[in-house]
Amino acid sequence: MGLVRAIIPMVLVLAAGCRAERGVPNHTLSIKGSDTLVQVATGWAEHYAGKPGRVPVNASGGGSGVGIAGLIDGTVDIATSSREIRPRERAAVLEHRGQAVQEHFIGSDALAIFVHPSNPIDALSLSQLGEIWSEGGTLTDWSQLDASMRGRFVLIGRQNSSGTYDYFREVVCGPGADGKGREFRGGVSELSGSSEVIEKIAGAPLALGYSGMGYRTPRVKWLAIAPKDGSPAVLPSAEGARSGHYPLARRLFLYTVGEPTPASRAFLEWVLSDEGQEIVAREGYVPAR
Amino acid sequence: MMPASARAGVTRGQTRSGRATSLRSPRAKSRGLRLGERLIEGFIVLCGWSSILCMAAIFLFLVREAAPVLTHLDWHEFFTSTRWIPAPAKGNPAHYGALALMVGTLTTTLVAMVVAVPSGLAAAVYLSEFATRRVRETFKVIIELLAAVPSVVWGFLGLMVVGPVVSELTGAPLGTNLLTGGLVLGLMSAPVIVSISEDALRAVPDSYREAALALGASKWDLVKRVLFPAARNGLLAACLLGLGRAVGETMAVLLATGHANQVPHSLVDPVRTLTAAIAAELGEAPRGSEHYRALFLLGVVLLVFTFIINVTADLVIKGIRRKGEST
Repeated sequence: MGLVRAIIPMVLVLAAGCRAERGVPNHTLSIKGSDTLVQVATGWAEHYAGKPGRVPVNASGGGSGVGIAGLIDGTVDIATSSREIRPRERAAVLEHRGQAVQEHFIGSDALAIFVHPSNPIDALSLSQLGEIWSEGGTLTDWSQLDASMRGRFVLIGRQNSSGTYDYFREVVCGPGADGKGREFRGGVSELSGSSEVIEKIAGAPLALGYSGMGYRTPRVKWLAIAPKDGSPAVLPSAEGARSGHYPLARRLFLYTVGEPTPASRAFLEWVLSDEGQEIVAREGYVPAR
Repeated sequence: MMPASARAGVTRGQTRSGRATSLRSPRAKSRGLRLGERLIEGFIVLCGWSSILCMAAIFLFLVREAAPVLTHLDWHEFFTSTRWIPAPAKGNPAHYGALALMVGTLTTTLVAMVVAVPSGLAAAVYLSEFATRRVRETFKVIIELLAAVPSVVWGFLGLMVVGPVVSELTGAPLGTNLLTGGLVLGLMSAPVIVSISEDALRAVPDSYREAALALGASKWDLVKRVLFPAARNGLLAACLLGLGRAVGETMAVLLATGHANQVPHSLVDPVRTLTAAIAAELGEAPRGSEHYRALFLLGVVLLVFTFIINVTADLVIKGIRRKGEST
């Protein structure tokens, strides 16, 4: 899956290169960052290109941190991110580029907790998830949740460059007793792609993992999440993400540096148009408006 | 290069243009030859030194990139803690405990060697001593082809084929784990080991075999008592090259080990290696950041590992040689 997604942008670059030779502006907008948003970004690149006055767009993934690092280095025009930019990244952009970073909200994403279809559990609370995933958490074995189950949790997550990793840790592990943020426990399989997480869970009966709502396949089951112990659990849904009822929803952003150039401003406006937002919705996310 | 060949051409031209062979100037020719020879010699010396220069340059580069972190790194944590948290939660300091990564590299390599060395040496013995010429030639071609299979393909194989089989047979909850990674690495190093050990065994003069057989040695005695001792340097070199491939391999372990930062408690726990950590994180670490430096430090550690392995093996070979000479 990761490979396929790596190839699409390459094809787009080639396509963009061909177009540039035919006399349309030869500058290319490069968009890079969140793997969560890579399908959206390549979708945008595909649909945006080809009309007069529009520059070719070259979209790729790698992780939110990778996109923002590119923004700091000046190798990327627009960074996609599934988390808010960190203060020190914001400072680094100002230091290296001399201009402040600008944030553009483009939609939201609901993370879902996935398990193997054979798993009898249907719902968990946020605090249970916290005990499962955090360093020093009290839940380590499925039998602690369901007497009919046996075996330790096999935790599947994303690698630490991914915005999903950050977001999930912030919401699920949260602050510990000392008020500081808790870290993930050791031994989580950290995978490089959202679909890879789903694939792995589909093949492991004891697995528990997180990935974007849009990546669900029939081979895995997602869990309803209760925001508090005892409160009703909510299944992931676009509506729940927009309304804030579903507890694992997050906002998605594009970041640019300083005043956008006419080319990138045109693109950003298009992204928030009906056409651009439809692509956000098509990938399983909740549009910004 | 140019002037040398040009001058050589002139000399030849003069010789051809009428002078009797006995009268041609030996000094002119030898001067031309000498210069050409010197250039070639210089080139060869340069080639020889270039490996050392490259090695030094790589080491300096790694150390230079890692240097700023060397002074304020918590070394105790680096070597004894398994908390590798380069991108910590809000308000927390980053942690660079690389113990689990080092253990990951060492254990996967160990599994790989347990698989690859016996099977590789056995295959080499079969090819060099038992197989017919035709079988040997065919097998060698295939084995060399196997050694050239790209590592990402091995990784896929680990993920899609070896993983499911391992989890089926061992009941491992996850197909991608230490055993799967080690098996894939073993499969990758085995062709290297077979190919080079077979060459080493074939290089043992036939007179050794004849002498042993004439003394009534069985085939097994021949292999164990004559061929292995005679070819030990080559066999050790073969195993070292295989080991080197396993230690440094990145793509295959990234796909097949499960990429989980922990000290494994069993053979089927997922692990994470130094190489995988570098490959997965370097793209995201901003240039010059502490995280970036720490990843280069992992590179230094990896280099030191291979260095230690090579020096040890060198000493072992020297030890064997000395022992061989004294007896």
